[in-house]
Amino acid sequence: MKGARRTDGPAWPERDTLQVLHHDTPRRSAKDKVRGAALYSHDRRVPGMLYGRLVSVPVPRAEFEVDLAPALAIDGVVAAVKLREGETQFLGQAVAAVAAETPELAEDGARAVKLTFRELPFAITPDQALAEGAPQVRRGGNHSKVRPKGDEAATEEALAASDAVIDVTYRVPVQHHVCLETHGVLCDYRGGDEATIYASTQMAFGIPGAAAEVLGLDEKNVRCIVEHMGGGFGSKFSLDTPGRAACLLAKQAGRPVQLLNTRTDEFRAAGNRSGSIRRVRAGANEDGKLTALRIECEKLGGIGRGAGGPRPYHYEPGASYFEERAIHTHTDSSRAMRAPGHPQAAFASESAIDELAYRVGVDLVAFRKANLSDPVWHRQLDRVAAEIGWHDHPHRSAPGRGDGWIAEGIGFAISAWGGGGHRGAEASVSIRPDGGVAAMIGIQDLGTGVRTLVAMIAAEELGLRAEDVEPRIGDTILPPGVGSGGSVTTGSISPPVKIASYNARKAFAEHLASILDCPSERVRFQARRVFDADTPGRGLTWEEACRTLPKTGIGGHGAWDAKLQGSGVHGAQAARVRVDLMTGRVRVLKMVCCQDSGLVLNPLTWRSQVNGAMIQGLGQALFEERVLDADLGLALNAGLGDYKIPGTEEIPELVALIDEEDTREFPIGVGEPPVIPGPAAIANAVHNACGARVRSLPITPDKVLAALAKLEKEG
Amino acid sequence: MHRFRLEFPKDVAAATSLLPSHRGPLTPRDARVLAGGQDLLGELKDHLVEPDTLVSLHRIPGLDGFELGEDLRLGALVTLAVIERDTALRERFTVLAEAAESVATPQIRTQATLGGNLCQRPRCWYYRNEEAPCIKKGGAECFAFGGRNKYNAILGGGPSYIVHPSDLAPALVCLDATVTKTAREGTETIALESFFTLPSEGSVQRENVLRANELLLGVHVPALGPGWKSTYLKFRERESFDFALAAVALAVRLDGERIAEAKLVLGGVAPIPWRARAAEDFVAGKPNTRSTWKAAADLALAGAEPLEHNAYKIPLTKGLIQKAFRKLA
Ligand SMILES: Cc1cc2nc3c(=O)[nH]c(=O)nc-3n(C[C@@H](O)[C@@H](O)[C@H](O)COP(=O)(O)OP(=O)(O)OC[C@H]3O[C@@H](n4cnc5c(N)ncnc54)[C@H](O)[C@@H]3O)c2cc1C
Ligand code: SF4
Repeated sequence: MKGARRTDGPAWPERDTLQVLHHDTPRRSAKDKVRGAALYSHDRRVPGMLYGRLVSVPVPRAEFEVDLAPALAIDGVVAAVKLREGETQFLGQAVAAVAAETPELAEDGARAVKLTFRELPFAITPDQALAEGAPQVRRGGNHSKVRPKGDEAATEEALAASDAVIDVTYRVPVQHHVCLETHGVLCDYRGGDEATIYASTQMAFGIPGAAAEVLGLDEKNVRCIVEHMGGGFGSKFSLDTPGRAACLLAKQAGRPVQLLNTRTDEFRAAGNRSGSIRRVRAGANEDGKLTALRIECEKLGGIGRGAGGPRPYHYEPGASYFEERAIHTHTDSSRAMRAPGHPQAAFASESAIDELAYRVGVDLVAFRKANLSDPVWHRQLDRVAAEIGWHDHPHRSAPGRGDGWIAEGIGFAISAWGGGGHRGAEASVSIRPDGGVAAMIGIQDLGTGVRTLVAMIAAEELGLRAEDVEPRIGDTILPPGVGSGGSVTTGSISPPVKIASYNARKAFAEHLASILDCPSERVRFQARRVFDADTPGRGLTWEEACRTLPKTGIGGHGAWDAKLQGSGVHGAQAARVRVDLMTGRVRVLKMVCCQDSGLVLNPLTWRSQVNGAMIQGLGQALFEERVLDADLGLALNAGLGDYKIPGTEEIPELVALIDEEDTREFPIGVGEPPVIPGPAAIANAVHNACGARVRSLPITPDKVLAALAKLEKEG
Repeated sequence: MHRFRLEFPKDVAAATSLLPSHRGPLTPRDARVLAGGQDLLGELKDHLVEPDTLVSLHRIPGLDGFELGEDLRLGALVTLAVIERDTALRERFTVLAEAAESVATPQIRTQATLGGNLCQRPRCWYYRNEEAPCIKKGGAECFAFGGRNKYNAILGGGPSYIVHPSDLAPALVCLDATVTKTAREGTETIALESFFTLPSEGSVQRENVLRANELLLGVHVPALGPGWKSTYLKFRERESFDFALAAVALAVRLDGERIAEAKLVLGGVAPIPWRARAAEDFVAGKPNTRSTWKAAADLALAGAEPLEHNAYKIPLTKGLIQKAFRKLA
């Protein structure tokens, strides 16, 4: 597919003519981050600031009353507010908040708040929720209506006629976002009619309105600043409970309040990736064709709906039928999390595809290609297969067994995503007489490298180096950005920055035309010089040219243009694992991802995204699971010691390959798609190594040992 | 956080005089000994203990003593980083060095001490949750028994099913170490093996014989003798840092193709470092082959009584035992 080319306005230049874009460019804030100099909302301190803490009832469900007086009686506790009346619905749901002179006093205050509560019966597991006489979670009941799709009769018929059939259930537990910076804000309000909110958010421009409402101010007078933020992964789109509490406390105290979740709050009540249970019945014929696919899916999103994902997951069975329903429990609501629904759907689909390929004895890559019509997946599967060493691998259509101590295997999985931008963002670029250039857009940088990208786009247009441009982002006094969710950021902000840079260049060229004594169309900006295209040997340095500008400088503005971005990406991953047959340890040795995403504007930060996604996928595959005690209603691993995410020892060799055969000449976002296939690819690799099929995530040693024992029993 | 006084006594007598004199298990308000603080500060922050006084050992001279002659003498304040880095120690007491380096993270090991490691409290999810008043904290019920017990004991459990979290403990028991403790009443040296107590033996609220006013002063490790080799194999669910799901401290003396003698102690599976004497006796004089290792592993786990979610620890520990023998073969 070829991108739309325009000659009458801004367009992305041909790839091989790019000087700044499409070249590895280290992120602007790298040094500051390494040195600890980068200021996150957590690090902000302003004069007179108080520290806030949330208060919650220590059971999943209760009727409660709050008495703030004992907290306010503590010397140093300055403000206390109620956040909720009546009943709580899940453990960790905040009912009050306090603010004090120090974090320690705030904790003392929070613990001193008197909660009088009557515990109510709860249902925190799907079994409890579906049991006879279960306490009700939502008004509509403890499960949603079944949403069917497809042809049930034809699917049953095709299943009955298939050479091989599987009927298995795949389980994915609730996973947490684990943002290294917890949710919350510093609300800098000191009385009066203005406020500044330093927020850890994915949507800076959503904050002023919401905060203004709580503070009782005019939205115009509330500013949000997100200089750096420590991850959101889909969970940080609103002012949220800690933000609302900070504003209420600040309003009461007439002083700034910083309130960011404790790690425990974060695990209990800041959202999660919904779990899922999928019963899969699927069939294939010996010729390697998928005949039928039937999936019954239960989404486990707590009091929320949970995420389903595409049905089927991109493979093309002869006949298919799907049912989906949400089961509600008295647990924190799921939220969007990096490719909502997709990893769960991919884990079930890709495991089932694998199981069928082995049943009919067909090469795992060949089987996949035979059931996917889109050639992009074919070439991406071939590429990751080559990179992971598939062609020399001994177990391509039957699993290995290992040497009695260890076994090695390879697994595959694919993904798909949108990644296009949308309207709403605007940008300005200004050029000063001293040669300085500022590129301005209010967008927040979640850690993806947007700040760097903004500078690169302007630099490319003006013939400068990325470091010559000062990117100004993360502030609502700047031209508006968009919410960073759905991998839309690059697609939403690149067009306005590009257009603003283009317009600034045009204006500068008009200004320089008389000085260079040529028509403005002939003015060229290259390698920090400006010159007449007909006499490239003469001309001005960038600084000389800028010195001719009026004091106010010159600039341009830009809005979004659909033609400068696009949507629709594929992806394929392969994983190589080593299974310790004595202990059940799965060690991932290597992960490979091949991903298309149009014109890759900064390959370095692109690879960081893909590598980070592979690591997050590895965490979901091997470690991550929320553990609750079903009788006591307690969260048992609500901390970073017990909720395990990968550490340095777990990181395998990571290979992030740009699918260069994708010649679309516009950028597409890449934040989400590479997180999808990892868990499935790793589960499939475990089976390929030693024959142990683990159908529930995470693939912990206990499950691997149980699967190996079952194999041994079956001979 | 409950306000506490931080005391810096300058000698052992001053330290013990600041500790409670009663004989019962420590109450949450009782004074606590502070060494590296890597466990105790977590307990304070989680409100599991709220002492009025913390007694730091850091100004008492000599407690960080480290003497490596034939034998090894370690003061209670020697850090795990020191134990892990000394090359002469590693050569002769490999199991101890390997155990030390398997603990937590490099940052923690520079603070964490030997005494604190041996006296640290359990990691059972319920113990660490303020809202779960289980037997270990003076309550009436063991919640792990019928609850989420994936990480709990398969050997020696009841009425509490914790596993002892220390990695140094199995290694030092394997080396037949002794421990010296002191109270106002006097100083005593006992085998480290008898320092730790099962919940069914001593008080279920503590993990060792140390009384409220006693201090651990140090450990003495006798030389293993010529011909011995040792190793510590720890299985962590997450290798970067994690407590043991199971661990094996093994020392063997080989005689040609045979095993002359072996010492085998298991970690992560019982409320105390679990010495597998039947397996030790069995392998003495047997050929150093996989079938011997396997039979020894079976014997070591023969008495295991798994709970609902931790039966995997049986094959896991058996696998680790075989891997340890193989490593030393
Ligand atoms: C993230 C994390 C991971 C960890 N991983 C591991 C692991 O893998 N393996 C492992 O073994 N441990 C692990 N630990 C526990 C770690 O805290 C201990 O290993 C450490 O050695 C404790 O030593 P300390 O000096 O810091 O003890 P402190 O915290 O100071 O003391 C611990 C306890 O011992 C008592 N105490 C200390 N010294 C004496 C003494 N001389 N006499 C009497 N009582 C004393 C204290 O009163 C307290 O109750 C981990 C801890 C953390 C936080
Ligand atoms: S195992 Fe011990 S610490 Fe854990 S719940 Fe039972 S009694 Fe409490």
